Amino acid sequence: MSDTNSFPGLPQAFNFLKNLFSHALRSSDNVPQHVGLIMDGNRRWAKRKHVEVKEGHNAGFHSMGRALELCYEAGVKTATVFAFSIENYKRSAAEVDSLMNLARSGIRQVVQNGEMAEKFGIRIRVIGDRRLLSEDVMREVETAEEITKNNKRAVLNICFPYTGRDELLHSIKANVNRALAGEIEATEIDEKQVDDFLYTAGSPPLDLLIRTSGVTRLSDFLLWQVSRRGVVIEFVDCLWPDFGSRQMAWILLKYAYNRTYRAHDPDFEEEADCGTTTNRGKKSI
Amino acid sequence: MSKIQDTVLKRQDENWREDERDHRRVRAITNGVKNPGRPSVGNVKKVLETAVLVGSDSEEVRRKLAQHRETGSWAQGRVEYAFYKILLSMLLVAYACVRYAQYEYNRVKILVLNLAYNPSNTPQLIRQDVLKLPKLPKRLAAILETKPDGDVGGGVGGVLNDGSELVAWSVSAGIKHLILYDHDGHLKRNVDDFRSNVFHKLSKFYDPSNVPKFAVRVPQWNKVYFNTPGTETGEARKVAIEISLLSNRDGRETIIDLTKTMAELCAHNEMKLSDITMKLIDSELTQLVGHEPDLLLYFGPSLDLQGFPPWHIRLTEFYWEQDNDQVTYAVFIRGLKKYASCKVNVGK
Repeated sequence: MSDTNSFPGLPQAFNFLKNLFSHALRSSDNVPQHVGLIMDGNRRWAKRKHVEVKEGHNAGFHSMGRALELCYEAGVKTATVFAFSIENYKRSAAEVDSLMNLARSGIRQVVQNGEMAEKFGIRIRVIGDRRLLSEDVMREVETAEEITKNNKRAVLNICFPYTGRDELLHSIKANVNRALAGEIEATEIDEKQVDDFLYTAGSPPLDLLIRTSGVTRLSDFLLWQVSRRGVVIEFVDCLWPDFGSRQMAWILLKYAYNRTYRAHDPDFEEEADCGTTTNRGKKSI
Repeated sequence: MSKIQDTVLKRQDENWREDERDHRRVRAITNGVKNPGRPSVGNVKKVLETAVLVGSDSEEVRRKLAQHRETGSWAQGRVEYAFYKILLSMLLVAYACVRYAQYEYNRVKILVLNLAYNPSNTPQLIRQDVLKLPKLPKRLAAILETKPDGDVGGGVGGVLNDGSELVAWSVSAGIKHLILYDHDGHLKRNVDDFRSNVFHKLSKFYDPSNVPKFAVRVPQWNKVYFNTPGTETGEARKVAIEISLLSNRDGRETIIDLTKTMAELCAHNEMKLSDITMKLIDSELTQLVGHEPDLLLYFGPSLDLQGFPPWHIRLTEFYWEQDNDQVTYAVFIRGLKKYASCKVNVGK
């Protein structure tokens, strides 16, 4: 949005407003701690605009930058984006290649000259079944993680290549393995143990999931995390490259409003006190 | 691997008896009361009070304030903070106004659509609606919520009634598998009531001498009940619909039980770590909980999965209507229409 304006001063004014907005939201203390994004619709966008699929993915990458910038400004601690599904390997070789290239250059861009990583102190983690990545992509990924590993303020999880069931399988196997190695009794395995060995371990529990392009499925993304009670799911009816700061701002405002309202609800406190939904305390509903 | 299942089921059964929490559980949060989209002046006031008066706990603000205090510009930090708080309340008020308009619009829309078309108790009409659709979900799931006891259609009775209504519509539409999920497990705890409720509802829809047969499955106890209590004859086992009753227990906790069981089996050398594959877990969970539904209907104001079994929502289509809080036929049929119009392409 901001970069298409040529009118002098407008981008600055826009940035100023964005800053003001995110600071105001931050002071509400009701900002989602962990946001999941399914960036759907890049290819349909490209088709609609009659440009190459590659261009669509590029536009999607910029759109991600805009959305994440606002999130981090407003105080989101962790964002998890669905970049590449294990199922995506079924696409044409050329497209898989171009996606890989984009991811590689994208990661490089974010790390090297993207002010975002520095400005917000973002630590990048690439999660998923990394054995499926080719060697050169893997190198890039490792560099990115190495460079940003000391950034503490926020985390960007890039799911690449990832599926929710694979993640769950990974955690189950890890727990069984731990039980075998005698680190834990088999009977002690509980929800927390499974949580701790998911790829997203160490991140706060998911609060908000956004999927664009009007598709109302999860498509195997963060299944375990999303099914938890109280997670807000937003399906937005626009293609990902058209998803800008405005939509993101609206969703964050909505979230803050609902949470602020609920924090005041006596019934709601009662439920939280009874500890029925133990691990999320007062955020559980 | 039936051994795995046996162990998991045994574990579930024990837990079920032991689990005191189930009895202490507070009733589910309901739409009407909790719906922040039903704004009133009081609500907005409350929101503002919370937003403005409740101090911020965030690390950031505290650090900032501490910093300012040190450098002697404490007052400036305070002013800045107050400014943002005021800005925030202005934003929230603006949001409340927009939301109010949106809420009223949605409510009126739902109301008008309900009035315009409601073929109650007529399977032929439902059949006709469904015949127009190019495809039907093979397995349909619905999340039901308990409303407060005082409300119309509230309490456990309300859930039973909503559930049996859904059964009747599904039978009329020709859907063979229905999954009913309620977080606290009211349905399965009152399974006998539910069965007679369904029977009554179906006899209103169909000729009482020829009521469709149904089976109610409770995966947690590995039990299947046929028709109403007292009529479980061998003849009656050919059913028009199979209903699975699920609760929170069938979600994460079942996956954890499965993990425990596999860990024990591995420890006793009865299976290897490499035996644990996607396929094995999928087949075990299919046995223990059921198949993945194609369409999930949610009859609340904004989508909340409430602990629905996570393994089973991989490609499930969700349908709900904003600000709707009732189980109505109109929502049901619109959900089926939406499902018929979408295409799934895994990975592509």
